[in-house]
Amino acid sequence: MNALDQVGQLLQLVPVQRAGAGLLLSALGLPVVGVVIVGLDIMPVRFAMMHVALLGIALGQLLGVDPVLCALLACALAGAGVAPLARTPDGLSGAMGLLMSLAIAAALLMLALSGVNANGAFALLWGSILAVRPADLAVLAVLAVLVPALFIWRRRDLALLLHDRELAWCSGVAVQRLTVLLLVLVAVAVAGAIRLTGALLVDALTLLPALAARRIGRSLLSITLWASGIGLVVNVVGFLAALAWDLPPGPVLVLVAGAVALVAHLVPERRTSSWRVSASSSVPSPH
Amino acid sequence: MGRQRLEIVPIMPLTWTHAPRPARMDPAGNSTARRSDYSTVEQSNERARPPAAGRMSRSGGLDLHFRDVVCRHGRLEAVAGVDLSVGAGERIALTGTNGSGKTTLLRAVLGLHRQVDGQILVGGRGSRTAAEWAWRRRACAWIPQRPAAGRFPLLARELLASSGAPAAAGEAAGRLGVGELADRPLSSLSGGQLQRMHLARAVGCVAAGAGVLLADEPTAALDFEGQEEAAEVLTSLPVTVVVVTHDRAMAARCDRTLEMAAGRLREVR
Repeated sequence: MNALDQVGQLLQLVPVQRAGAGLLLSALGLPVVGVVIVGLDIMPVRFAMMHVALLGIALGQLLGVDPVLCALLACALAGAGVAPLARTPDGLSGAMGLLMSLAIAAALLMLALSGVNANGAFALLWGSILAVRPADLAVLAVLAVLVPALFIWRRRDLALLLHDRELAWCSGVAVQRLTVLLLVLVAVAVAGAIRLTGALLVDALTLLPALAARRIGRSLLSITLWASGIGLVVNVVGFLAALAWDLPPGPVLVLVAGAVALVAHLVPERRTSSWRVSASSSVPSPH
Repeated sequence: MGRQRLEIVPIMPLTWTHAPRPARMDPAGNSTARRSDYSTVEQSNERARPPAAGRMSRSGGLDLHFRDVVCRHGRLEAVAGVDLSVGAGERIALTGTNGSGKTTLLRAVLGLHRQVDGQILVGGRGSRTAAEWAWRRRACAWIPQRPAAGRFPLLARELLASSGAPAAAGEAAGRLGVGELADRPLSSLSGGQLQRMHLARAVGCVAAGAGVLLADEPTAALDFEGQEEAAEVLTSLPVTVVVVTHDRAMAARCDRTLEMAAGRLREVR
């Protein structure tokens, strides 16, 4: 009862309410972004975007423009910039590593030349869910609308593109344009999420629900729905648990999401194999 | 169980509302294909489309011209100066040793291989602009050599729908014995089932208006009976067919057999 009272009391506080709203909104958009990350096989995107965002912040401080806005723009441009490398199957994965190295080198050089305190620049990158501002909520809300809308609008094209780029190309999908759009969306979402919730939370909000859903779902549609559902449950359960036992929300959310991903990884394994056996025995003979 | 003949009822018979009509149909008599093979197709098509389009079907698809085509993989020249004219409705078997450039040549037609010099014309149209590529992709149906299992699950139903004519592709899948697998992810299908699915998709592409079928070893994963069935389906389609194959029965059903060796082409039969 004590823990419940504590949750009730904490939920009266405006920063906690904002954090809760932020997590609910992010459950709509970010796990779907995670599905794209898994589908395009660009797991290192978080590290790449962290460093590109840092470069954006350094540029912003050098030029006297809002550093966070510069970080988002830099990530969007980087996302669009690496799109042509998606032509080969592992082009993107390698490109993320290259981007990461180049961006951090450029950022450090720029910080050194401009005399800006590197720690100050880094601090802008590490947000906290309890320090969410209304402007950050607006970014999350836009993502929560844009990302699912794109998935509903271009469902068929996305399913083909994430399955096989060449098949999508031959089926008339505007492969290049869609890849650029997805990469820009992923880059901005990851950069935004890092800024909002800290680097640790990004995986809990994006990748882990998508990885769990990838094991359970059998089509893009079902994977997307599962990812959003798991994201929502993880965010709510993790956040309430953190409030109830006065724990830092970031690690608790990651642990809950990780546990779900692990369970999803173990449980359907058996179901899938038995389903295969029964299906193969029921395959109709062509003659 | 007796083999059933495929009926192709185009949804958009050889014309597109959003793209230019495929140009240059075959002059009469260009094709030596066995008309009886697709007599059923013609009959069903006659019901579904106007007489002009019907004539297009009789001539069978689009012509295909390669002029001094060179394809490279980096510095390696995979295809070396290929000149080839394929009449509308003609069926060409492309044979040759592994690594002789057959797949690369087929992929170059679709724009999947980019390092290409020379000229490839489908229905008299090149591929300089994005619009021309978009047209080319609709005009050419493709059966890949080893259909990718894919990084992300795709339902067989979604694969069939990607042809542009889900109903026709679904019906073809039923006749090829894989209709009941439509709700399965492709990754759970066997190699042969996947190849049948791609064959059904190609039938859908033709129904949606494709005039050329490029098939890359479409019978490689099939059992003997399946090979015969696939060959029957492929050569019965009212389109120009270029099929890379090591299957003698398939080659025998084609009008001409060409052999590729070290990137060069010569006529065998």
